[in-house]
Amino acid sequence: MIEISQVSKSFKGQKVVNNLTLTVNEGEIVGLLGANGAGKSTTLNMVLGFLTPDAGNISINGLDPQRQTQEVRKQIGYIPENVNLYPYLSGLENLDYFCSLANIAYTKNQLTDFLLQCGLQENAWHKRVGTYSKGMRQKVGIAIAYAKKAKVFLLDEPASGLDPLASNELSDLLKKLSGEGASIIMASHDIFRVKEVCHRIGILKSGNLVKELRSKDVSANELEQVYLAYMKN
Amino acid sequence: MWQIITNEWRYLSRTKSLLVISFSFIIILLAAAWLGYKQNKVHEKNYAEAKQYVRAEWESIKEMNPHGAAHYGTYVFKPTQVLSGLDDGVNAITGNVLRVEGHVQNEMVHSEASQMQSVSKFGKLKGALLLQYIVPLLLIFLSYHAINSEKQSGRLKMLIFQGSRLRTLVVGKTIAIWLYGFSLLLLTILVYLIFHAATMHTDVWLRTFLLLFSYSVYYFILCGLTLFLSLRIQQAAVALTCMLTLWVVWSIFMPNILQSAVSAWHPLPSRNVFKQAMKEDRSKGIDGHNPSEEREKEFRKEVLAKYGVDSVEKLPINIDGLLMQADEEYGNIVWDKHFGELRNTLAQQKQSYQLGGIINPFISLQNASMGFAGSDNYHHQHYLLQVETYRRMFIKMLNDKHAFGGSKSGDWDWKADNAFFKSVPDFEYQESPIQTSLTLYLTDIAWLLFWFTLVFILLLFGTHKLTVL
Repeated sequence: MIEISQVSKSFKGQKVVNNLTLTVNEGEIVGLLGANGAGKSTTLNMVLGFLTPDAGNISINGLDPQRQTQEVRKQIGYIPENVNLYPYLSGLENLDYFCSLANIAYTKNQLTDFLLQCGLQENAWHKRVGTYSKGMRQKVGIAIAYAKKAKVFLLDEPASGLDPLASNELSDLLKKLSGEGASIIMASHDIFRVKEVCHRIGILKSGNLVKELRSKDVSANELEQVYLAYMKN
Repeated sequence: MWQIITNEWRYLSRTKSLLVISFSFIIILLAAAWLGYKQNKVHEKNYAEAKQYVRAEWESIKEMNPHGAAHYGTYVFKPTQVLSGLDDGVNAITGNVLRVEGHVQNEMVHSEASQMQSVSKFGKLKGALLLQYIVPLLLIFLSYHAINSEKQSGRLKMLIFQGSRLRTLVVGKTIAIWLYGFSLLLLTILVYLIFHAATMHTDVWLRTFLLLFSYSVYYFILCGLTLFLSLRIQQAAVALTCMLTLWVVWSIFMPNILQSAVSAWHPLPSRNVFKQAMKEDRSKGIDGHNPSEEREKEFRKEVLAKYGVDSVEKLPINIDGLLMQADEEYGNIVWDKHFGELRNTLAQQKQSYQLGGIINPFISLQNASMGFAGSDNYHHQHYLLQVETYRRMFIKMLNDKHAFGGSKSGDWDWKADNAFFKSVPDFEYQESPIQTSLTLYLTDIAWLLFWFTLVFILLLFGTHKLTVL
């Protein structure tokens, strides 16, 4: 469970996140929509513990990311917009390496199973990541977070640059993860993907959460209209 | 930590350009080791041949007046140190042949540098040239981007999230790159030692270990410092420029500047002034009130009194031999005084230069490398002293023969036979033990360890306030 309570953050006197309150329950996917500079990435970085909020509190399953950094990090799976893996290692080796950093030892079969579940085809497992497409790297990135058995996932523009098939596979995977009880925040520009995957959607503008709605209450077109209305105002 | 090290090594072994560079380096280093070995072998062969030739010449003297033989003299040759093939130190400029004769203490001649066809600032290709200048450059190029690349690619966030601490990552990468440098070092020295397997003994093993240790510590300092800069400076190019500047200052400018400063603080007399002072002391007496003629008169009186005669002609011995030995011994006192002062000044210069290690670990490495390879100025001085001791014994034997061999005073035609000349022992150099080198270079080892500790602390605590973003 992710709890963000009245959190604010400024850079050089400019408020980037303003009094943000948001809760993501277990098994829930919350999408954060917003233009560039709306405060999505800053919010994620505060949840990740890389930035300290100027005001307010953040809690990950009852733990404070600033004070209990290592414990929190064990529970979080983070997937950036561009998953940059080691190009000289294969997908399987990358997964093995990142798992070993988390002190998790998997057998080769278990590792390949993670890759398979994240949609990476068998013929790519042993190829060097330097030859991968962005979607394939993204899948390995998700496999890394998945293999970590994270309870909380933070995704920063995860579908950016993915082809429709890869995007669809990503959506399925996220739904699967939430079905297993994970709390997920997904920051994105992609209104239709967010509508399709998320249970709740928040619209951020200039650091303010200007609108929060349930995905099932709106159609994709309606969501787009709402979003554009807020962006134009 | 181990995973990080392994991963760095996979990067080194799977990146084609690095493989090519590494392979080229290995070839060059092995070539340097082989050349060092060949040069040593050539020197050893020349040494043995020249030594044998000169000895044969000496032993072939059938009959000769001992004083004539003292002027005829002999030559002694500086033997090769096993590890000098790796680090030639001062050998190239000090020369390796010394003429031993009566009355005079000759200077070393036939330095290798003076006989080289091509003139190069860096001299001959020796392992030390590559290990001190080129391998560090390679390590800097491998290190400067190690953390920046992780940060710029966004991988650093992922690594941190997988549970890796920034400190562990930095230390792990430092060790991985250091291991690369250490492998090149180890390979070069191992190959060199294999070539020299027949001449290895405990002292050389210990020297090799100390060489390895000194270089290893220096490589760690360089790798750690580069990684630290790479952490602190956002732009990789700026970090690289800073480290290259430091490398140039440490390896090229500072040793020269410090050497000049040390020479100014503890000046050595010019060769002419030095020779003139020795000549004056010998002719006028050390105190200036005891000229050689007066000393001779006094000595004659003492000898006559000792033998209870009133004229030289009545002496049962040849006083000329005794006079020459007395003059020789006075010359020895003069030599001891002047060369003692010279050695003291050199020791002061060396000690002051060693202090430079506090701001420049390269100076400590260079000192230790020459010292443990046995090619430093101390070993050279050690050799010169042994030659001088030999020269004194050699001349005394000849003078004693002249005095007590059966001739009368003034008889310069009297000749000693071949058996006598054969009985004069040949010069045998006793190598300086490693314990002495260790004592002399303890300061350098201490500075290297000081820098090692400093860099380790920087790596451990320098990551404290760093942000991953």
